[in-house]
Amino acid sequence: MPDQSAVLDDVRRGMIPAHIYNDAEVFALERERLFSRSWLFVAHESEIPQPGDYAVRRVLDDSFIVARDEQGEVRVMFNMCLHRGMQVCRAELGNASHFRCPYHGWSYRNDGRLVGLPFHQDAYGGEAGFRRKGQTLLPAPALDSYNGLIFINLDAQAPPLRDYLGDFTFYLDYYTKQSESGIELRGPQRWRIKANWKIGAENFAGDMYHTPQTHTSVVEIGLFREPKAAKRKDGATYWAGAGGGTTYKLPPGTVDERLAYVGYPFEMVERMKQMWSPEQLRVVGEDGFMISAASVFPNLSFVHNWPRVADSDDVLPFISIRQWQPISENETEVLSWFAVDAEAPEQFKKLSYKAYLMCFGSTGMFEQDDVENWVSLTSTAAGSMARRLRLNSRMGLLDDDTEVTPALPPEQFAGPGVARTGYSEANQRELLRRWADHLEQPAGDGAVAR
Amino acid sequence: MSSTDTYSSRSPLGAHAPRQQRTGSTLPFSDERHLLAYQWLVDETYLLDAQDYQAWLGLLSDDIHYLMPVRVTTALGAGFDVAPGMAHFDEDKYSLSRRVARFATEHAWTEDPPSRMRHHLSNVRTFATEDPDHLVVDSAVLLFRNRGDVRESALISAGREDLLRRTADGWRLARRTILVDESVLRMQNLAIFL
Ligand code: FES
Ligand SMILES: [Fe+2]
Repeated sequence: MPDQSAVLDDVRRGMIPAHIYNDAEVFALERERLFSRSWLFVAHESEIPQPGDYAVRRVLDDSFIVARDEQGEVRVMFNMCLHRGMQVCRAELGNASHFRCPYHGWSYRNDGRLVGLPFHQDAYGGEAGFRRKGQTLLPAPALDSYNGLIFINLDAQAPPLRDYLGDFTFYLDYYTKQSESGIELRGPQRWRIKANWKIGAENFAGDMYHTPQTHTSVVEIGLFREPKAAKRKDGATYWAGAGGGTTYKLPPGTVDERLAYVGYPFEMVERMKQMWSPEQLRVVGEDGFMISAASVFPNLSFVHNWPRVADSDDVLPFISIRQWQPISENETEVLSWFAVDAEAPEQFKKLSYKAYLMCFGSTGMFEQDDVENWVSLTSTAAGSMARRLRLNSRMGLLDDDTEVTPALPPEQFAGPGVARTGYSEANQRELLRRWADHLEQPAGDGAVAR
Repeated sequence: MSSTDTYSSRSPLGAHAPRQQRTGSTLPFSDERHLLAYQWLVDETYLLDAQDYQAWLGLLSDDIHYLMPVRVTTALGAGFDVAPGMAHFDEDKYSLSRRVARFATEHAWTEDPPSRMRHHLSNVRTFATEDPDHLVVDSAVLLFRNRGDVRESALISAGREDLLRRTADGWRLARRTILVDESVLRMQNLAIFL
């Protein structure tokens, strides 16, 4: 592995060597040093509501069964038979009390315990030759959840998820805790794009600057009224803990009026007011900012927008959760879920789903243009000239590193972390700074080096 | 019974969809109704290849339900093969009209420059319904799409079930269910129609 310290230094000062978006050696380092010890999203509890429900999800090349066992507990198990390594579950989702390996028939309960082993006595001499007791499919080294979002970590010594997320949970609640029941997920739509996984994560973390240009067409057709250039820069971007995101500035009003402005019905607003802390309500009600896109390091993103879904002036909010699952240095599988508060009225759920389909996901009118940019960027980053080009990611900084726009004081932004209005690439720099910190650290004891 | 229509009736946005079902077995290939339906589909592929979406929109009924579920891999006997409550397209005339209007702006970057496309149509068979003004048509479609000069081409293979309706202005598409043959699409986006 060649020394990457010059690359990491450039990244830290906001001058991004273009080849990091399409470089096999960099991707090998990301595998070894980043994905091996970051908390990675695998599923939401609402996707497996009943005992026996399962979904199969990947982390890079590793396949995991995310299952709810008969006791109702969520288990995440490596999808590889203990005997000769066959995948014990080859469906994407379903309900099963047991997984039976198709190769030689070992069977496992949905909590991972090995319970059936054909000809145990004849083949192994029974327990004397092979102790069945205590044998389980390999559990994910670490498992934790927040508001029903299930994460795993390949490093058994990883700090708890809460510590990892840090103050980003303040913002995560806007997306995932609008009522006592939390959100429910549908999907995901899954598709592959010939783009590096980091680009989507950076874009959702803080790229307000692209909205008026890339997404001109959705404003022109009356789908979304907000992205006009002047409006977008009045929003705040914030970074807190493991994530950061963007917001829109709302017209004057109370918290009730502002939540109604983006299309939440009265009963949902009432529940949000019960769920959210005074500071969380202040960001919306007094400071006047409404969450839009966000990313949690390394590859999980969120979006909340409020388009028109019919030929009227009414708008309706939707939430999407998406993961940029790396396939290689130049290919990513996008998993895009629609999420909605479980207690929302049925009619709201329908229209919010419609809003999602029109805007994001495989057919979304925002997403279509985003992906075109990212694919083009990735393919151009492959060659020798890209190794000579440092992309300018210093927006918001003067030459001497002072900020063009100072951070908002607490009186103007009640949320934790650092927030500022105006165009800036501070969040993209923050995301890539974490990336550089990971790539610099050799894999520790807990993480397995490749 | 139509195997695909259940997708439309189960979809979250399918309440408005027309419900006419196929009856009997395939119409003979010499049947005039089959010839009509077949020609309608062939003509439609030329509009889609040329991205003449304004003309295409004119061929859709006002109550159209245009549905492309998300396919999932499930165990044999699981009883379902699509993601519950999720689709790629789950459209009515309004949402389709917004998509078409977007392509007509000068800022739909994903199709500027446009893709080269060919919708290969085959396996067309036609069924009568209980209503002489409605036909159900099954078909297979293979879309080849190529962009630029360095990118790999992309394919989408799908089966479709259409409901065609006779109107004073000619035949109109009133319901389409697209069963794509991949659970993970190998195409950068669906800035296309099938
Ligand atoms: S590989 Fe699973 S039983 Fe042999
Ligand atoms: Fe975008």
